[in-house]
Amino acid sequence: MNPKFILYFAWYYGFYIILRGPSYLVASLSLPLTLLFMVTIFTHGTLIAYAIAGGPIAIVAANSINGAADAAFFRIQIRIQDLFVATRITSQDYMFALSLSYLVFSLPGIALYAVLGAYFKVFMLSSALQVIAVLVLLTLTISNLSFIIAGLLKHIRNVWGITAILSIIMTVLPPTFYPYTFLPQGVIYILSISPVTPAAVLIQGIVGLEPFQVSMIFILLIETVILTLLGRKFIRWRE
Amino acid sequence: MIEIQEVTKRYDRRTYALKGITASLRERVTTVIGRNGAGKTTLIRILSTQLFPTTGTATIEGLDILKETKKVREIISSIPQESQLIGILSPLEQMQLYLMARGFTASQAREESKQALDELELYDYRNAPSDTLSGGMKRKVFVAMALAAKAPVIFLDEPTTGLDPLSRIEVWSAIKRLSSKIILTTHYMEEAQELSNEVVVIDQGNIITHGAIGNLLSSFGGKMRAEKMDGEEYDIKIANVAIKYIEKERVDEFIAKGYDIKRINLDDIFLSKGVLLES
Repeated sequence: MNPKFILYFAWYYGFYIILRGPSYLVASLSLPLTLLFMVTIFTHGTLIAYAIAGGPIAIVAANSINGAADAAFFRIQIRIQDLFVATRITSQDYMFALSLSYLVFSLPGIALYAVLGAYFKVFMLSSALQVIAVLVLLTLTISNLSFIIAGLLKHIRNVWGITAILSIIMTVLPPTFYPYTFLPQGVIYILSISPVTPAAVLIQGIVGLEPFQVSMIFILLIETVILTLLGRKFIRWRE
Repeated sequence: MIEIQEVTKRYDRRTYALKGITASLRERVTTVIGRNGAGKTTLIRILSTQLFPTTGTATIEGLDILKETKKVREIISSIPQESQLIGILSPLEQMQLYLMARGFTASQAREESKQALDELELYDYRNAPSDTLSGGMKRKVFVAMALAAKAPVIFLDEPTTGLDPLSRIEVWSAIKRLSSKIILTTHYMEEAQELSNEVVVIDQGNIITHGAIGNLLSSFGGKMRAEKMDGEEYDIKIANVAIKYIEKERVDEFIAKGYDIKRINLDDIFLSKGVLLES
């Protein structure tokens, strides 16, 4: 483990993209903010708390799944991955550095939702640590999914379509912007194939909007472990 | 020293990139020459632990690339041919990341990066976003990474491709100042001749010839190269150019026949082994 490399990489590739390419940041916020607007309008504000609670999840999930484009670009197109392979860092360091950079890139969006959440009394300081823990786990899980996708691709052009589709499927279909109790429990388990579902259910439970489901902690943890192992296999570190 | 033992690389059932290469690379600077698709990059990627060989192995300074990968990675620096900079980051930031991945502290990495960038006339561009640099400058940043890494063994895959003549000379000068063992690939014969003591010529996954440049050139026994468009006498014909290797005593005779006379150089090692004939 090379923590200094991981932190520097995450800072450079996460924070400097915000500074030097703010349009990316606006793009990453556009979908959750649009959905927040739509949910508020169509429900006359009754589900605004759900849309605010789900916003950070949508941002983290979308940025992490879009990481497949970065990972594929680094491996196939600009061959930066090759450059790092022949160094002292491991595939785990590299993957962790990229994942963390997606989390750093998500921070302004999370902060915006934290402000909204505080204003509408959705997020409380007491539950902040639990919310952050869920977001970190979700970043790791979906980043690893993106490494799997990147590793399976042979041509970079396929990645944009795949990430666009997955981004919508993973952020809109799961109960990110609506109460999970709208769905039968069986459907929740089926939707849990996307790590966004257990994360959304957990956050709704943590902030007190819906009952807390302990089983979702295990599902999210198991998915994190499985996808991390698969991510290591598929990243094609040494081909 | 680098020992390559029966290394093969098969990409699919039919495509062999390397067909059982065995060689000892003993000189400080070795150049691997070959046409596009000859297997140069595959060999470099295998030696620098980026790619697994299908069969065979190699040792670098006594360390097995398959069994002692971690230790090998501590002593090598490898600059891939197709690597490009991350456009949004500056050269200094990317060099710093690379050196930290090689085990440097943040401050060491910063200082070494600045020094190497200065050496390659890139210091003024150290903080510019990389996508504002010219293609040649971007390539030089990667060479600067290899310089700053100060690894005992450096792999440079086509380090001067895309550089203008002046930049190429700057890179050559930087490479010459290195005390590391260097394995480089190139298309440029003059580069191989300028920088290396030893060449390995690869074609279609096989080593065609390998040795010290002086020895390879002396195998021509002091002959000269005579070439003429549509010439009738030739040893090799490439497109319409007839090439004939002649003794010095026959130079006047061939000049009278309209041939241009040239000294033997690394091009002739290529030509004499038939490497270009199939193009």
